[in-house]
Amino acid sequence: MRNFRRILLRRVISLFVTFLLVICINFVLFRMMPGDPLQFMVPSDPKIPDEYKEMLIERYNLDDSMSEQFITYIKGVFTLDFGESFIHKVPAMDYLLDYIPWTLLLVGIASVFMIVIGMLIGILAAWKRGGLFDSGSLAFSLFFYAMPTFWLAMIMVMTFAETWEIFPASRAMGIGEEFEFTLASVKELLSHLVLPVTCLVLVYIATFSLVMRGSLSDVMTEDYITTARSKGLSEKAVLKDHAVPNAMLPMLILIALTVAYIVGGAFMVEYVFEYPGVGWATIDAVNEEDWPVLQAAFFLIAVAVIIANFVSDIVMMYLDPRVELS
Amino acid sequence: MIETNFTFSEPFAERMRLIRKKVAETGRVFKRNRMGMVGLAILIVFAAMAAFPAQIMWVFSTVGGWDYPYGPHDEVASPGTGTDPSWEHWLGTDSRGNDVLARLIYGARISLMIGTLAAAVSMVLGSMVGLLSGFWGGWRDEVLMRVTDVFLVLPWLVLMIVFVAVLPGGPSVTKIVIVIGITGWAGTARIVRTQVLSIKKRAFVERARSVGAGEFHIIRKHIFPNVFPLIFANAILTVALAILSESALSFLGMGAAATVDVTWGNMLEDALGALAMYNGFYLWVIMPGLCIVFLVLGFTFIGYALDEIFNPKLRKR
Repeated sequence: MRNFRRILLRRVISLFVTFLLVICINFVLFRMMPGDPLQFMVPSDPKIPDEYKEMLIERYNLDDSMSEQFITYIKGVFTLDFGESFIHKVPAMDYLLDYIPWTLLLVGIASVFMIVIGMLIGILAAWKRGGLFDSGSLAFSLFFYAMPTFWLAMIMVMTFAETWEIFPASRAMGIGEEFEFTLASVKELLSHLVLPVTCLVLVYIATFSLVMRGSLSDVMTEDYITTARSKGLSEKAVLKDHAVPNAMLPMLILIALTVAYIVGGAFMVEYVFEYPGVGWATIDAVNEEDWPVLQAAFFLIAVAVIIANFVSDIVMMYLDPRVELS
Repeated sequence: MIETNFTFSEPFAERMRLIRKKVAETGRVFKRNRMGMVGLAILIVFAAMAAFPAQIMWVFSTVGGWDYPYGPHDEVASPGTGTDPSWEHWLGTDSRGNDVLARLIYGARISLMIGTLAAAVSMVLGSMVGLLSGFWGGWRDEVLMRVTDVFLVLPWLVLMIVFVAVLPGGPSVTKIVIVIGITGWAGTARIVRTQVLSIKKRAFVERARSVGAGEFHIIRKHIFPNVFPLIFANAILTVALAILSESALSFLGMGAAATVDVTWGNMLEDALGALAMYNGFYLWVIMPGLCIVFLVLGFTFIGYALDEIFNPKLRKR
């Protein structure tokens, strides 16, 4: 147990260092930008009065030295204050907060589906290795794995939304509708979610099915599986009680590591489907050159991924006490 | 053997012979790998597209009886929403009034170029960090790994978008190569480091050290040759990822400028911009994406095949 606590402490420290580095990168990157930040905020138009520019300089502390700016920035980070959005004139974090639930909804539902389905495919494939299902599912997974997420999204819009008109192609709700807790509203929401979720699931399923298959194949060659079989257990019991639990560890590691990739994929999906999530807001911020929002989004996503990694580390330590610091 | 002035020195000739033997051996095993051969076939098709786009278009123009072989930037129709496929334009024309087929074929070059160059950049960075970090150990390892962690933790797409946004200069091929290169090295660094850690413990490294070999000599002569196969197999897989990254960035309008360099990614950007999905120009949407899928598959297949060859432990799977 002492050992456990020591490992945990080291993990916390190293994650904290990672967090600090992220904060620093976030600062340095946005100070590295070419040109005068004022240029981004104010179109070069002589009609704009100098007072306005001075007000901006004042508000964004542009006249401060680099170290003063850094201190202001660090203070801001711990109060989640990244300054005011250039375009929307509200604090950048507040602006993003409206988009977070939508992304959580999309990524959450998609993750559950891709993990469960991917695992099932992997288990079946490993169980009947070399069989028809194995090679079929392998080809299927690799094909979608090689696919640009946004292209699959476009194809889905083309087939299901445009040609057959089964599901709506864009946004999370109908035009001008707000989400309420009524049956009709929930139905509307779900029908809008079908295509984006399916798209994400298809692209990322291979990641899970391939790792599950590999890990289970390894376990199936272990001696204790032979023992279980020779005890006369049914194939199903061997699989369920002996093989699958032992093959789960790599899966858990994978789930944590994939979070970052899924968020990236979600960005593209949100962009194509005009889904009002953090990804859409971020890409919009880049196009509008709204740097405070971009900075806040960068911070938010990094922190989310760091926390996900930490949680998976702890879960893993409980499940497999052998895991040492790697 | 008669010594002439033109022969290489003995150790060098010996080394070349060994390398040749190893390559030939790898080739033999590779030929028996069905997945690898399919990947290679796919790659050859795209390499031909990248190398001889004008010639391919000339063949098509003769077959189709067009006025002349179209180039990727020739305005063959009036710009607008695009036109349907016809005998003159097999895949239709796009919103710029360019021939979609021409853009598709010319697009192979830039897509392939960005993919390989970006992969090369990230392989060099990743291998260097991995080699040094694994070899040094201690606090330098700790520092390098924390930096690696940062790049591993941050979603690649977000990182790339931010880099594109803040790096100076407008959209260009060079910028994309650099951005994909510096955002994609972390995974390689991790893999290489793990391998170096296990090689470092072997007797021949200890022996080299005991006869007084320097750090960089050991890394160059003893460790690097042993991790090279791994790096190589990984590089091929990285190319696949780099191609996907390029297409995503171009699609968001942050890649190479569509008026100068055609890539499949910016063809799809045009298609989305002109709402080709709603206007029924299906081939314009489908074909560039299919090209990306198959090119990525080609590299993935070859990468997996090489992985199997270089890591015999995996072969049983």
